[in-house]
Amino acid sequence: MQDRIKYWKGIEELENAPEFEKHARNEFPEFLPVNETNAEGASASGKTHRRDFLKLLGFSMAAVSLASCETPVRKAIPYLNKPVDLEPGVANWYASTFYQDGDYNSILVKTREGRPIKIEPNNQSALTSYGTSPKAQASLLGLYDNNRLRYPLIKNKEASWEKVDKEIASRLANVNGKVAFVSSTVISPSTKQLINEFGSRFGNFEHVMYDANSASGLLSANGGVIPGYDFSKASVIVSIGADFLGSWVAPIPFAKQYIQTRKVSSENPAMSRHYQFETRFSMTGANADVRVPIKPSEEAAVITAIYNAVTGSGAAAASVPNAATVTAAIKELQANRGKALVVAGSNDPGIQAMVTSINRALGAEGTTIDTAAPYYTKQGNDAQMIRLINEMNAGTVGAVLFYDANPVYNHPLAAKVASGIKKVNLTVSFADRANETAALVEYITPDNHYLESWNDFEPKKGYLSLAQPAINPIFTTRQMQDSLLVWSGSRTNYYDYIRNNWRKISTGDFNEFWDHTVHDGVLENGTSMLQVNTNVVATAPVIKAIKPTGIEAVLYEKAIGTGDMANNPWLQEMPDPISKATWGNYVAMPRGMAEEMQVVQGDVLKVTMANGGVIELPALVQPGQAAGTVSIAVGYGRKLESMPVAVGVGANAYPIATVVDNAVFFTGPVKLEKTNATSPIAQTQTHHTIMGRLIVQESTLNKYKADPKAVTEYVRVATHEGPAKPTTISLWDDYEYKDHHWGMVVDLNSCIGCNACVISCQAENNIPVVGKAEVLNRREMHWMRIDRYYSSDTNLESQDLGVVERYDKMEDPADNPSVIFQPMFCQHCNHAPCETVCPVAATMHSSEGLNQMAYNRCVGTRYCANNCPYKVRRFNWFAYPNNEKFVNINTTMQTDLGKMVLNPDVVVRARGVMEKCSFCVQRIQLGKLEAKRENRRPVDGEIQTACAQSCPTNALVFGDMLNPESKISKMLAHEQGERAFHVLEEINTQPNVTYLTKIRNLA
Amino acid sequence: MNKKYILGIYDDEDILLDAIEKIRAAGTKIYDVFSPYPVHGIDDVLGIKRSRLPIAAFIFGLCGMSFALWMMIWMMGFDWPMIIGGKPHISLPSFIPVTFELTVLFSAFGMVWTFFIVERMIPTFRVNVFDKRSTDDKFVMAIEVKEGVTDMKALNNLLRSSGAIEVNEKEVVK
Amino acid sequence: MQHTSPIREPLITGGKTYHDITEDVCRQVEAGPNPRWAAAFGVALIGLAIFFYSVYRTLWFGIGEWGLNKTVGWAWDITNFVWWVGIGHAGTLISAVLLLFRQKWRSSINRAAEAMTIFAVICAAMFPVLHMGRPWLAYWVLPLPNTFGSLWVNFNSPLLWDVFAISTYFSVSLVFWYIGLVPDFATIRDRATGPIARRAYSFLSLGWTGSAKSWSRYETVSLILAGVATPLVLSVHTIVSMDFATSVIPGWHTTIFPPYFVAGAIFSGFAMVLTLMLITRVVFKLEDYITVGHVESMNKIIMTTGSIVGIAYTTEFFIAWYSGVTYEQYEFINRATGPYWWAYWTMMTCNVVTPQLFWFRKIRRSLVLTFIISIFVNIGMWFERFVIIVISLHRDYLPSSWAMFYPTWIDVGIYVGTFGLFFTLFFLFVKFFPVINMAEVKAILKSSSGVTQHGHHPHANVVHGAATDLNTNTKHSNE
Repeated sequence: MQDRIKYWKGIEELENAPEFEKHARNEFPEFLPVNETNAEGASASGKTHRRDFLKLLGFSMAAVSLASCETPVRKAIPYLNKPVDLEPGVANWYASTFYQDGDYNSILVKTREGRPIKIEPNNQSALTSYGTSPKAQASLLGLYDNNRLRYPLIKNKEASWEKVDKEIASRLANVNGKVAFVSSTVISPSTKQLINEFGSRFGNFEHVMYDANSASGLLSANGGVIPGYDFSKASVIVSIGADFLGSWVAPIPFAKQYIQTRKVSSENPAMSRHYQFETRFSMTGANADVRVPIKPSEEAAVITAIYNAVTGSGAAAASVPNAATVTAAIKELQANRGKALVVAGSNDPGIQAMVTSINRALGAEGTTIDTAAPYYTKQGNDAQMIRLINEMNAGTVGAVLFYDANPVYNHPLAAKVASGIKKVNLTVSFADRANETAALVEYITPDNHYLESWNDFEPKKGYLSLAQPAINPIFTTRQMQDSLLVWSGSRTNYYDYIRNNWRKISTGDFNEFWDHTVHDGVLENGTSMLQVNTNVVATAPVIKAIKPTGIEAVLYEKAIGTGDMANNPWLQEMPDPISKATWGNYVAMPRGMAEEMQVVQGDVLKVTMANGGVIELPALVQPGQAAGTVSIAVGYGRKLESMPVAVGVGANAYPIATVVDNAVFFTGPVKLEKTNATSPIAQTQTHHTIMGRLIVQESTLNKYKADPKAVTEYVRVATHEGPAKPTTISLWDDYEYKDHHWGMVVDLNSCIGCNACVISCQAENNIPVVGKAEVLNRREMHWMRIDRYYSSDTNLESQDLGVVERYDKMEDPADNPSVIFQPMFCQHCNHAPCETVCPVAATMHSSEGLNQMAYNRCVGTRYCANNCPYKVRRFNWFAYPNNEKFVNINTTMQTDLGKMVLNPDVVVRARGVMEKCSFCVQRIQLGKLEAKRENRRPVDGEIQTACAQSCPTNALVFGDMLNPESKISKMLAHEQGERAFHVLEEINTQPNVTYLTKIRNLA
Repeated sequence: MNKKYILGIYDDEDILLDAIEKIRAAGTKIYDVFSPYPVHGIDDVLGIKRSRLPIAAFIFGLCGMSFALWMMIWMMGFDWPMIIGGKPHISLPSFIPVTFELTVLFSAFGMVWTFFIVERMIPTFRVNVFDKRSTDDKFVMAIEVKEGVTDMKALNNLLRSSGAIEVNEKEVVK
Repeated sequence: MQHTSPIREPLITGGKTYHDITEDVCRQVEAGPNPRWAAAFGVALIGLAIFFYSVYRTLWFGIGEWGLNKTVGWAWDITNFVWWVGIGHAGTLISAVLLLFRQKWRSSINRAAEAMTIFAVICAAMFPVLHMGRPWLAYWVLPLPNTFGSLWVNFNSPLLWDVFAISTYFSVSLVFWYIGLVPDFATIRDRATGPIARRAYSFLSLGWTGSAKSWSRYETVSLILAGVATPLVLSVHTIVSMDFATSVIPGWHTTIFPPYFVAGAIFSGFAMVLTLMLITRVVFKLEDYITVGHVESMNKIIMTTGSIVGIAYTTEFFIAWYSGVTYEQYEFINRATGPYWWAYWTMMTCNVVTPQLFWFRKIRRSLVLTFIISIFVNIGMWFERFVIIVISLHRDYLPSSWAMFYPTWIDVGIYVGTFGLFFTLFFLFVKFFPVINMAEVKAILKSSSGVTQHGHHPHANVVHGAATDLNTNTKHSNE
């Protein structure tokens, strides 16, 4: 795909630089570019602005692409003269970068006729190649969010940019008191520099960074940076409450490193051992070999124990829970000096200081910690923010600007922030909508969406990347950086600013260097640009013990993260990896507590917080949740009409967070009362154990080492010639695949359950969102799902029980279960039960092994879905497009703007037809056509399904099983008889999807 | 010209059967007998041949069967072959049900239509029956009268003696 | 040919004559609507209204109006479909099979039973169409070339076999029924006084005269039709059962289904016939034609088929255990003890336990108890299909997809509505068509009611009676 990436304006720039410069300055017009085109139509060049055409066309093509869903084409605008590097129907890719709350992804933006329609990984990046996070995938939807501000606001009234600029500039000129720029972590070197330059004009300026999910404890213990953890070098990993695969610091790079130590093969059956001590059941915990549920207040004890043992010091330690496991962990850590890594999620500088010295003592620095390249993805400083809040209330702040920060919602001292804002003379927010904070400020100067903006990033020291616009600003918004430049009276725009900034590190001819970097999107040659404040006094390893009071609650990030993406229906409907709950948060409690309180799932609980605040949330019984604790996700309970998708979904849990000596802890004591109300939780999976069935297989590393052929159990059918492979017993000869035979391998060892594939599939295949009510009706439409099974204490062999009770007990998960994830989607069976039963032959097999659906032939008997043993078929129960019932749910199919995200290569399905995974047949066709045009066979890897492409751990391998050189063929050949198995092989459906048995590294 | 008939009305099937035999023995030709329900044994005494409708039914059935098989084999195997559930294009076992149904359909309908045709049964508004009671509770024997040939008195007596409860004449306008 | 042992109780009581039969049966048709009929018809129309409303909701908003979900793709729709088809079978069985076996007692009930068949099949046919996501394209299941090319239907699909089975079954039953009606239409025609009635019924009677030759062909046709209808009726429910038997879902994939479904169909069909007959005979005073004797013989059949069904249920369990397939085993444990246990035990009680009461002659011959038990059987058989369809689907192979099914008001509305449809048709039938096959009853009258027809009425009356209704150009011969 690399060769299909287009240079941004490459030709124009090289050919006629002056012309280009002129256009470049008009990069961000402050009025609708449509007019601009007309105005410029007769400009000297006679050339018109490329992106305007793209945009006009974008709108039109949205309608065109919907022709397939039986709605009339509303408008179609032909090209008068075709833009230079755009072929209708052929996609362009632009390298860019997604960053939010530590989640960094270097990406490619796929655009069709000028519309960004898909986020794909940028394989040039060493940090996040081959795979993205679900948030990065879903971030695309934010671009077409109907509720974004379309113009600046003054006191919530529409205003022109001129007016806003004039007023703000003049008021900044004679501001008295401190000028504060509040933001979440900024990892953009140029932006940071720009902010400081902007502030340098004022006597008293401060750039305050804080993170809703803070890591300031970690930072202060490590000199203002996050240690360059490298999980790939670790053979023993001990994590105390750090969800490093899901939401901690830099999940995607960590996941990529981590999985390198988890992939096994019979040649190299080496695997790291992963201990996880945590309160809530996190995705990381689900992947751990040994998981110990502990209370937040017990983290200190565990770490102190390790600290004392490893460093030989004698810090005071409370009694350790699960002492045996802790000692085992310690033994292994010590046995693996230089190959061990300890991480902690706590925000307590003392704890983090201990962890640092533990790692030092274990010789991690230089091995499992790259001291030369720390992470910058979290830089928020709680103390600084809290100090500012006090100053605001004290009235010593003259102006405050909020960029990418919403403290009135996501800071534990939200109330004080709100009251503080009132005391500040000049308040500005760059928010893209009137969020909780922006609603209180005087000026909202809406920022562009990141896909409309230029920017640069440095998530890790020496790893630079760029973001370039993939579309012109859809609304009259303006990038924050440009606003700052305007207000500080500068003539240059931010694009030039970045370029000038990068000239410093340029080697050779700058334009060449620049083009190349923009093309690649990343520059990872070790050069560093970001200024970070590293003169931080390392804290002493002394723990501010949290007093265990009553029920301890922990906060965590669910699908929508810290809440900035709450208006994103894809994420709202993305099931939680563990609880499988969509749409909203809940009180996750251990079974013991539920029984004690006589609470069943869905009972609404009154949650009283330390600050006296009360929220009401339904209860969810969560196996593996530490006794005496509950966990609640943040980011929900929005009330603003600026995010209608999120309104009425869950409740705001941020106030639970506690502040202990200027550090924000994501834990706090709560009181729970049962109310009489109930509110069902929309889960996509309501049954949690495998009921002793051979549908997903796992074994232990020791067994695997002993005999790789013994880890997988194969079903045999008794015949008169003795046991036989089910697939060998068939009435007829099988169809012979001559050209291609597409298949997929799913490595259960690699799947961490992150859901990136689910969202990627949803974006690629125009899959509708159905909303909480319909999920409760068990009608979610996801083609790709990740089944999550808990282990149970009872199994088929538990002979002490009668058969009925045994099955009954098997439905209950263990109290601290082990978890296995199984990505499940159409298995493309070669003996497909669904094909046989369709009366109208709407589903049949392709000559390349694909199980195909002809949507417009389907009459919707649902017989195929009934007869599918994998239950992967999805039915259009209603008309999801253009249906007011789904206007704030399935936003991608209602408005012209929303529809722009639809993939024109995939039809939007009509009401009453069946749909399912197609192995991204549109991509297969494209790949074959490209190869045909170049008169060659498709190269392995050039055709990728959306799910496989976006899997950060490469658990999914797609390819042509007839091509002996393909990765999949090699894997299958190798794993045959070892880890490779088909789900439900005994019913002889002969799937084209093969699973690899999960191996656990148990002691 | 008009046709003239003598009708012997009976009210019991056994008497009717005897009467028929007697009258035919007497060498009189019976035009037809009308009854409210099928009188068993009347075929023999009237010398009505066994109907050949079963043969028709059988032939139509054969047609149905061959049509069904041809249709499925041609559609699935030749006109538009598809890979369905890994089965061969022409998988006879799954053709059996439809074949059977069409066989039944053809034979049933074929036979019924034949029946209607041979009986000239078509929806009509005017029907002339010799005696309306023949669809209620009487058995009507009709004997054609040939002008000058038939001895009315003898015939009348013959009918009466055979147990007719009443003897009528009827002219049918042609 | 028709030998009846003297000890057998008469099938028609009350010393009826041929003429009485004509009178009794035609009365309903010729007299104005009787108030009880009108009331019942009104109720039926309300049901029909419910049907139309629910159908409108389904067609306008989509199948989402029902309680189905990604795991349970069929529930009430196909349950009702199979249930109605099953009910239909009794009609054909009574008219065809019993005709072949020369069971004379069928004569008084076969007409109504056949009508019931046809209406039941109409109700049944509603569901395969309505349950489609895009019912306006229902004609695509016929072997017509696809609009954009010669893409035909898939003859491997049991659902397609259904299309052929049901349509054949419906049309053949219709013909069979109509053939039976022709002579009786002729009777009504010849009695008709009003011009409209006369024209209407002469139109329907296809100019039937009842000549000896016609009768002999007529009997051949009926016999052959009966001959083909018998395997047909067996094939229909066999094919319906194959919808499930040929699938891979535990609880569906069962070779025992064809016989088991056919037995079940006869079982439920006879129950329904009884329910209807017991009402009709009272409403239209036909006690002399539908006697306790009829009821008893039908109860015997119900008892037999009920026991067959019972054996089938137990066999399923045995096979599940014997096969050693975990999925199969769990499926059946789940049926009896899972979240839908109540449905399963309702089925067992109604279908297996209650019919056993018919071992007692008293109960067999008690009309009230028969009525109650027949209702029970109808309920039980509905639940049998519900158990098979929903309980098998809601927990199949992958526990991750296990789900529950809860019906919506639209589900209920459509089901109740089909009763409205059914009874509307049935009441129209009993009002305008002869409910009892007069010709056949007359044919068996002599041999099976103790009374001879002879001398029942002196000649004279008839002569005069006849004279009066002789047409003008006929002169009286004994003057």
